Amino acid sequence: MINVSGLTKNYGDRVAVDTMDFDVAAGKVTGFVGPNGAGKSTTMRMMVGLTRPDAGEVRYSGVKYTDLLHPARVVGSVLDARVMHPGRSARNHLRAMAAVSGIAPARVDEVLHTVGLETAAKQRAGGFSLGMRQRLALAGALLGDPEVLLLDEPANGLDPDGIRWLRNYLRDFADQGGTVFVSSHLISELSMFADDLVVIGGGRLVAADSLRNLTARNDVAVIVETPQPEDLVALLGTHDIANESTGDRLIIRGQTRAAVSQLAFDHRIRLTELTETSKSLEDTLLDMTSASAEFASA
Amino acid sequence: MTTATYQPTDRTATNRAATRPLATKSQNDTLRALPTTLRSEWIKLSTIRSNGAILALTIALNAVVSWAVANFVTDEGELFVDKVFAFSTLFTTVFAAIAGILIFSSEAQHGTLAPTLTAQPARLVTATAKTLIAASFGAALGVTGLIAGLVGAFASDIETGDASTMVVTSLWATLFVALASVLGLGIGMIARHSTAAISGLLIWWLVVENLLNVFIDARLARFLPFVAGNGLLQLDDPAASVGSLSIALTRTENALIFGGYATIALAIGTMLLSRRDTN
Repeated sequence: MINVSGLTKNYGDRVAVDTMDFDVAAGKVTGFVGPNGAGKSTTMRMMVGLTRPDAGEVRYSGVKYTDLLHPARVVGSVLDARVMHPGRSARNHLRAMAAVSGIAPARVDEVLHTVGLETAAKQRAGGFSLGMRQRLALAGALLGDPEVLLLDEPANGLDPDGIRWLRNYLRDFADQGGTVFVSSHLISELSMFADDLVVIGGGRLVAADSLRNLTARNDVAVIVETPQPEDLVALLGTHDIANESTGDRLIIRGQTRAAVSQLAFDHRIRLTELTETSKSLEDTLLDMTSASAEFASA
Repeated sequence: MTTATYQPTDRTATNRAATRPLATKSQNDTLRALPTTLRSEWIKLSTIRSNGAILALTIALNAVVSWAVANFVTDEGELFVDKVFAFSTLFTTVFAAIAGILIFSSEAQHGTLAPTLTAQPARLVTATAKTLIAASFGAALGVTGLIAGLVGAFASDIETGDASTMVVTSLWATLFVALASVLGLGIGMIARHSTAAISGLLIWWLVVENLLNVFIDARLARFLPFVAGNGLLQLDDPAASVGSLSIALTRTENALIFGGYATIALAIGTMLLSRRDTN
């Protein structure tokens, strides 16, 4: 449904997005992940024509966003949930949005009901919590009953109930054939309902694959402790098994706990600890993007 | 057609995916989008309290100033309603320029420009709709201000004077206010920041231009934006601000000069809207 090809954006000498290529399939929820400053928001802004790319293009079923007859009826987007005039009521905010796309005013109350804001319709947006603003922004994206939802960090500010509601809504939207492209820094949250992931770092595409395939890349390691570390290291070396040694403890990669146990037993090496560990999806993605993270914790 | 009201159908399972090619727009479709964009801009304008406050202030100030001038000003010779009713048009013009600035800058500051431009990516359509709304609101402020001024002037005891000139004065005054609103819009589109745009405009208008008017040659001073704008009203000696009757410009010339500044500001603002990325 969405085809991103060669998308590039530079700000002076800084490359914000570098020759990005990926597809987002219809009927699926595609997560868009990467560390802060990776270029997620810039990419999404280019996808809806707010930022002019230096090179490349984005097509929706073969059509450029700016060539769509009714963009809001094809792509519903929320790039910043805070964008609403504080003095305008929720209903009037949506009325203005509906009018520009020629959408019937009756649709305003429908989407307010969908996002659970009908009782706050007459309240000014300035008094809304971030969670309420997220819901109102999503209501704006839904006005045109679009085929594509493009959401930047939509779970920010939502309470646990709101996050669950959003997750179920987006899952349902995709199950009806819609295309959902959603960025989030909450990888564990995304992994609960996304089908595919697009991973970027430093403005470059790191991976674009199904969640299942990315999860399968997870490193499995076996941690062993032995009073004979030199013997075990030598044994692993003869079998070309990668390992890291830290005193009496070794981290052995690419092997299962059972295989390591059998190998040590066959060569009369005593093990005092034998633990199999698996990286979380979050760890895997962080490893993939760590080299390009603009802001890293100590 | 873009102007048609769109009523989405209920979705059933597995029917969200596009089953036929997406409709693309033609040049005519872009033009047809103007009425819907205008309607959206009108909703935005009419649902913000600051615009209501500007309208109320315009009415109150025009009525009070006209009444006060008619009753308390004694050093201008004999005053008549035909002049006094338009005296406070300058205040209206300031309000209209501020309203014009806010039409764009408040959107830029609150970020609502992004959803506007994602729904209507043709920047020229958005700029045209905002210009028409700014000019209309400016004209509405001008007319209501003049009516309030008329009421204030009639509430005093002064004579009507030459009533036949009042219609012409009203038309020029309304044009001045509408153009000031468009000028404000252009400045707002360039500055994108309400406080900077409003303070910059007022400093130029009330300080810089008055100083220039004193120090530069009168032949040049008559081309300053608000000297020309004030010339549209011709409430006092038309040569007073430019030194000599021989070099005073006609109302039409003043309108062209002031309108020229508004057009230039608007053109620069529209060009920047098209070229800048939208945050």
